[in-house]
Amino acid sequence: MSTAVVKITRSETYRTVTDALWQNNPISKQVLGICSSLAVTVQMNTAIVMALALTFVVATSNLIISLLRTSIPRNIRIIVEVAVIATLVIIADEVLKAFMYEISKQLSVFVGLIITNCIVMGRAETFAMSNPPGKSFVDGMANGIGYGSILVGVSFFREFLGAGKILGHQVVPRLAYDWGYMDMGLMLLAPGAFIVIGLFVWLEHTLLKKWH
Amino acid sequence: MSDSVKTILFATVLCLVCSLLLTTAATGLKVYQRENALVDRQKNILKAVGAVDPAQRYSGDAIKSLYRDHIKCVSVDEKGEVLSADTRAQQTIPLYLYLEGDQTQAYILPVNSRGLWGRIYGYLALETDGSTIAGFSVYKHSETPGLGGEIENQWFERNFVGKRIVDAQGDFVSIKIAKGAVADAVRKDLQPNYVDGISGATMTGKFLTQGLKDVLQTYEPVSIHFRNQGMLKIPEKALVCQPPS
Amino acid sequence: MENLISIFVNSVFVGNILLAYFLGMCSFLAVSKNLKTSLGLGIAVVFVLTITSPANWLIYHYLLAPGALAWAGLPGMDLSFLKLILFIAVIAGIVQMVEMVIDRYSQALYNALGVFLPLITVNCAVLGVSLFMVERSYTLSETVVYGMGSGIGWLLAIVSMATIKMKLRYADIPEGLQGFGINMITTGLMAMAFMLFSGITL
Repeated sequence: MSTAVVKITRSETYRTVTDALWQNNPISKQVLGICSSLAVTVQMNTAIVMALALTFVVATSNLIISLLRTSIPRNIRIIVEVAVIATLVIIADEVLKAFMYEISKQLSVFVGLIITNCIVMGRAETFAMSNPPGKSFVDGMANGIGYGSILVGVSFFREFLGAGKILGHQVVPRLAYDWGYMDMGLMLLAPGAFIVIGLFVWLEHTLLKKWH
Repeated sequence: MSDSVKTILFATVLCLVCSLLLTTAATGLKVYQRENALVDRQKNILKAVGAVDPAQRYSGDAIKSLYRDHIKCVSVDEKGEVLSADTRAQQTIPLYLYLEGDQTQAYILPVNSRGLWGRIYGYLALETDGSTIAGFSVYKHSETPGLGGEIENQWFERNFVGKRIVDAQGDFVSIKIAKGAVADAVRKDLQPNYVDGISGATMTGKFLTQGLKDVLQTYEPVSIHFRNQGMLKIPEKALVCQPPS
Repeated sequence: MENLISIFVNSVFVGNILLAYFLGMCSFLAVSKNLKTSLGLGIAVVFVLTITSPANWLIYHYLLAPGALAWAGLPGMDLSFLKLILFIAVIAGIVQMVEMVIDRYSQALYNALGVFLPLITVNCAVLGVSLFMVERSYTLSETVVYGMGSGIGWLLAIVSMATIKMKLRYADIPEGLQGFGINMITTGLMAMAFMLFSGITL
């Protein structure tokens, strides 16, 4: 059993995934992708859908660009990357509008803004252009999950503190409100998002320092 | 093959593949998207009258059957009369009626108001006495989330139920959004004509107040019919309405 | 007219594209280390936004919107799903042109801004403004005013951030909070300050 665990932890895939989650978490270490992320963190369900959409786009674009990496002409490299990413984002947006209408209304323009999300372009340029498809796909998934973890974490605090709910279900009991507890309205507004993510990253950095 | 030819060839093939993928996705999914928009619209009309519980999830078919059974959309002219299918009137406006069997229980007006950032779309439902609000729901807006965006929340919309659009003398005054809580900001005798405002969203409140006044003014002839007769005469073959875009 | 002024003032302050809608943060965080470059980039963003927003409006209303191609005899076409790709292509093209113009007329500015100009292409704020313009069904004049206002709001935010960072160099910040953490908290406090303007009636 322990040899199996050791084998897994030594494998390349595991290292790629934990790398993206911890040491090189796209948002904190690489300071990427926060653009569209914070606006959808008011509720957990929108954050989760956004994270899934971005993971789909990064992983698939990494895969496609890696498959094409030897045939892309040098001078239109960036344009090709943007074209592939834009196509995938539009497909994701259309699928969401067709099958998850309520949530896509709340996500509004922010799904489209995945095109300009630095993570997607960043991974395509720095990883997919110089690595085989399998590894690129895993790297894309891992980065998506890293991004998603921060997004869902921030949205958990914002929804819980700002509305007393988790995933739309009332968690803070009526009793607490009667006793004078009030939701922290600031959490639902923009400043709340900035402050939560600042504190979040502080926590993550401090923990990383402690464990390494 | 020279570099530039290769580049052009690659670019062309990429364009073709992407266009194909996108067009297939967009046209294939359009059916579902249209359906979703339609069900959403119907759900909001039902929500305005209180026929659906905002906290519950309903399937598309459930909404469609509820709508089919209870909502009738007719065209009315400037005199507030429902037009029959054979008349050819110039200016008609749509009116939604909420029916239980054959009895009209409420009438619903489509709201298209100016907002702070863009238009605010919703539905305002009134009782058959022509003076009391039965419900209000917003389904599309571009207001600031957390501030003006609160207009789509239950607490704001619920406040409209039971409020009056006429004053104590029976004259039309419309419904207004107060600056702050009604209990603090408004005189006791005027309170039935006001709902609580949203802190930090005074402008949204101002614009919405004007927008609601405009739509209620447009439909005043219909409301007057209801105030006087408690009902609206619907001809045998009523002209089906042109739903607002 | 009052409508245009209201949109302008709101997009600079209360609905600041960066502090209220979170767009344009990548370049905001990267460039705000230096006041001069922040100012330069901010002005470039204002310029790009004021030009690209109406350009995208024209493209959307005469090519992509449902019924837009009526002038070409194709009233039933709805190409709105292509707006993401076309908007970004237009933005990339215009930024390229701005870069060439700056290169031609001011070497100093070109050297100062250098790598940041292509960054404006992927600046979410520029694409975001065009997308919001479509979502809110603005007219052409409203779009121009909204674009310029958003640009100026972004400029204000990045310049304020640069000056605050200068002050923060003398502060004793805990190690874990340095860099990203303190930047975010500062931005949050700035966002709170800008929200003050919601009390102003015009």
